[in-house]
Amino acid sequence: MKHLPKHLRPRWRYLAVEIETWPDASLNRGTFQRELWYAAQNLFGDTGSADADLTVLGFDYDDCVAETIVRVRRGYVDEGRAALACIDTVGDDPVGVRVRGVSGTVRACSERYLHGRAGISEERDVVFENESRTAVVRNSLLDVSGPGGFTGATQLDFE
Amino acid sequence: MYEAVYAHPDGESTASRVAVAAGRYGYDGVVVRGIDARPDFDRLRDELDVDIVDAVEIDAPDPEHASGAVGNYRPQRELVILRGGTNALNRFAVEQPRVDVLARPMAGRGNFNHVLAKAARDNGVRVEFDLDPVLRSDGGTRVQALSDLRKLRELVEYYDVPYVVSGGPHSHLELRAPRELAGLGEIIGFDREQILEGLREWGRLAERNRERMSESFIAPGVKRGRHEEDD
Repeated sequence: MKHLPKHLRPRWRYLAVEIETWPDASLNRGTFQRELWYAAQNLFGDTGSADADLTVLGFDYDDCVAETIVRVRRGYVDEGRAALACIDTVGDDPVGVRVRGVSGTVRACSERYLHGRAGISEERDVVFENESRTAVVRNSLLDVSGPGGFTGATQLDFE
Repeated sequence: MYEAVYAHPDGESTASRVAVAAGRYGYDGVVVRGIDARPDFDRLRDELDVDIVDAVEIDAPDPEHASGAVGNYRPQRELVILRGGTNALNRFAVEQPRVDVLARPMAGRGNFNHVLAKAARDNGVRVEFDLDPVLRSDGGTRVQALSDLRKLRELVEYYDVPYVVSGGPHSHLELRAPRELAGLGEIIGFDREQILEGLREWGRLAERNRERMSESFIAPGVKRGRHEEDD
């Protein structure tokens, strides 16, 4: 179909979103998009959700941190933030979601807010609560694996 | 702005990890709602550029136990939070000027009314708006939580009760930035500014209590120091 003349096209805002996970998580664009739609629908209902029109554009995931751009209709940025805040898991993996910034174009959004590399991660054996455990280390952040799942820590806890 | 968080072993991340995340999310500090958690506060404050408040969250089955715990912890900790959730505990908390914050009064079978609202205002007990169920549940539980929050908000607004706001995160992943909480607040009927004020209130409370715990403090408005010079 012929695309709309410029003055009739919807206006968008682009949210640069950072998603943090435990080291054993696996997510991709599709699963995150589904959670976002669920979150929006649960929060605003069908009408509000359609108005905000939240769409996940890019998705770049490695080493516990994903960076993505979420497109939202102009004037619905706060609704977008609220829906993102309500995403607590993707599939069964707990996630931390944060909006790094908002831009008017995809290009400005990715140039300004994305590609902050998470840093190289490595595995190391540490002593936590008097037990030897394996930890995934990234910069000075450690995710210590244990019987009941991971525990978040920093270098400060091992000095 | 401050967020009140659970740290390991009460939560899944250590106090330092949550504090680092909070710094990146735009908070000035975190309040560690310690049930069992007792990190080394002095060292963390030296090493990190976010403030860390030494608080206790009292989780007692009834007012008798709570009363003992409040008396025990008040001189030791910077902030005393009492977890509500039953009518008896809510009533006890708002009638105790020694309690700083009544946490999650509407959880479980707890309820709130005009009598408690007036008592909380008169005793300066902050009532907590707990956003945890809004952020992390859905369906009927969330609907119930939203209608409870609405009732509490109407009472707090009408009687001008002091309040705090928290998402009650149990790990650095459950933490949400102030602007996200404000955005969510607007959707569920709060003012943007109301939510941000509730987050700032933690910081003001901590500052007030630290001043009271300092050695030069005697009573509100009275402190030991140098006298003013006479001309």
